Amino acid sequence: MLQRKMLRARRDLTIIEGTNAAILLSGVRHSYGPRAVLRDLDLTVRRGEIYALLGGNGAGKSTTLNALLGFIAPSAGAVRICGVDPVTQPAQARALLAYVPESVALYDHLSARENVDYFLALAGAARDRPSVIDPALEAVGLPVHAWDARVSGFSKGMRQKVAIALALARHVPVLLLDEPTSGLDPQATLEFNRLLDTARARDVAVLMVTHDLLSAVDVADRIGFLADGRIDEERTATAGSARFDLNALHARYAQPRAAA
Amino acid sequence: MSRLSAELRLILRSRMGVGSLLLLLLLSSLAVWSGIAQMERQRETIARVSGEQRRDFAGVAATHGKPDGDAGYAAYYSFLLTHDAPPPLAFAAIGQRDIQPFVLRVRALGLQQQLYDAEAINAELALPGVFDWAFVLVYLAPLIIIALMHDLVTGEREGGRLRLLLSLPGQGLWRRRIGLRYALVLFALAVPFAVGAIVTHAPVAGTAAMLLVAALYLAFWAGCALLVGTAMRASASAAAALIGCWILLTLVVPTLASAAIARAIPAAKGIDLTLAQREIVHHGWDIAKQDTFERFFLNHPEWRGREGFEGRFHWKWLFAMHQVGDEAVARDVAAYRASLIARERWSERVGYLLPGVAAQGALHRIADTDPFGQFAYQDRIAAFHDRLRHFFYPYLFTDRPFTRADFARMPTFAPRLPSGAVPAAPLLALAVVAALLLSAGSRRVARISGADRA
Repeated sequence: MLQRKMLRARRDLTIIEGTNAAILLSGVRHSYGPRAVLRDLDLTVRRGEIYALLGGNGAGKSTTLNALLGFIAPSAGAVRICGVDPVTQPAQARALLAYVPESVALYDHLSARENVDYFLALAGAARDRPSVIDPALEAVGLPVHAWDARVSGFSKGMRQKVAIALALARHVPVLLLDEPTSGLDPQATLEFNRLLDTARARDVAVLMVTHDLLSAVDVADRIGFLADGRIDEERTATAGSARFDLNALHARYAQPRAAA
Repeated sequence: MSRLSAELRLILRSRMGVGSLLLLLLLSSLAVWSGIAQMERQRETIARVSGEQRRDFAGVAATHGKPDGDAGYAAYYSFLLTHDAPPPLAFAAIGQRDIQPFVLRVRALGLQQQLYDAEAINAELALPGVFDWAFVLVYLAPLIIIALMHDLVTGEREGGRLRLLLSLPGQGLWRRRIGLRYALVLFALAVPFAVGAIVTHAPVAGTAAMLLVAALYLAFWAGCALLVGTAMRASASAAAALIGCWILLTLVVPTLASAAIARAIPAAKGIDLTLAQREIVHHGWDIAKQDTFERFFLNHPEWRGREGFEGRFHWKWLFAMHQVGDEAVARDVAAYRASLIARERWSERVGYLLPGVAAQGALHRIADTDPFGQFAYQDRIAAFHDRLRHFFYPYLFTDRPFTRADFARMPTFAPRLPSGAVPAAPLLALAVVAALLLSAGSRRVARISGADRA
């Protein structure tokens, strides 16, 4: 038993040292009581890459994000954010990542600018308005007239732009997105995907956990199918306008869900 | 510092936060202003009564201060003023001062029938309690703490911001939030109080001790809010649980404890002592004069052999009768005082478990407005009455004329010095309870996990 553990640890270390992955999960296992949720999950995302993680309900997508955020300690395997273990060094790991939750909830009584400023302060990041906050809000395409408006009247798309602006303003190398396009209309989804292009251009590693196959196809460099706690299949975008075979992906995506 | 200023802005931009703090500031200011005004009225009353007293005394002296004046008339008609001016910090913790006498005119007749003559507690005032700074601190400030802190964690969870907040690298978020809200509540309470203390020239040590009580008591409630707020899943449940704690800890349990103490330690009323003393005095008219004098001589042997007089009445007989009445109820007086002290001591012990009781008791002790302050005033009156009696006895028992000049030689009352003190044991208990709650709350808050999405 001990020997197996040592072998696994050695393998994890080899993988970590041998890769330049900004996001790395290697042989990760996690259970909630008797129910195993992650089973030897291996996943890497490089800087400047967008990875879409698809999976049905209960496939382990949220647990994967929790492991990356350091909210849970996997029972086995290695998790690294730019080489930093989020379980043993949570503050250092979180300094390297920005997380955008599924439903972006901000402080309604603050404006967009004030929200970004507040969260930047909590993150201990630079908060200079002309050089940090305003350019970030501009980059995400939030209308200037909305910058000083209270976010209570914002749509989900606008809130998401504020959250992405926060991520951009922090200049972190890793972006974790939880169901980012859920509830967005097609136009807002398209705008959001262009934001991800911006992030990729800034050499950010993006892990997008989603149900939205169309959005994933539009923006992702790789798409992984998570089933039964591990990556079941992975597709890489090809050059050209048809980056993925959508029909094949749809057939693949629908299969486990139908089986489930 | 920037994180703290960001948190400060977050609170100050919230209507609930600003509204609660402004309300507390307003209530605290009103309480201080009202306390200062009330104590000023007591000082004015003392000054007004002093003026009236001088006029009354001059009238008695003019009537009875003759070359062959009878000391009996002088002693009987000379009411002398005693008073207990409000201590400097009484404005903040009025305690017993609004229901107990602070001015009492006494004469050389029996003390016990005079001491409690004014012990008519104003039921309308006693029922709701006085609105002072101590009331705002003990009863209202916890509600502001609850309003500001009950949803510290649950509010973020319900608002969907918890995972985002926990995903940020900064540390000490909850410590900052609790600490800042605590500091703002303390600030809203302390500023009006400090201004009041400056205006009334209150001693620095007493002022600091009262602020310490406030700081510890608010720390207890902050710990309570932290503990309950992290244990509950929903803000509404946390608020309900904390309001329940407030009702129990500040209203229900103290009332029950007070009733239990009163039941366990029965105490007569002061007016009962008055009646008992008067009964004995009245009985004196029906028994042989020598019997009264014999009882009087037990404690005043120096006047033995001077009791004789012609006729049916002599003032020395009346004053001896009154003194015998006082001495006859001395045991009851001691028992009455002992019961009241025992009740106070038990209230102090109850305060070890009930922070509201501890804080209130400590504030009244520091301000010198608790029953011990009242006892000290009564003791001062008793000592003065003793001097007054002994001043008149030589005139009465030797039939020495009491002239106008003798009126000027009559003893005058010297007011007591404030005897407020910092009660160490209740403060220590309060500090320990607050530390335990804060520590337990901090442990719970450290376990909050972003993995818990519900």
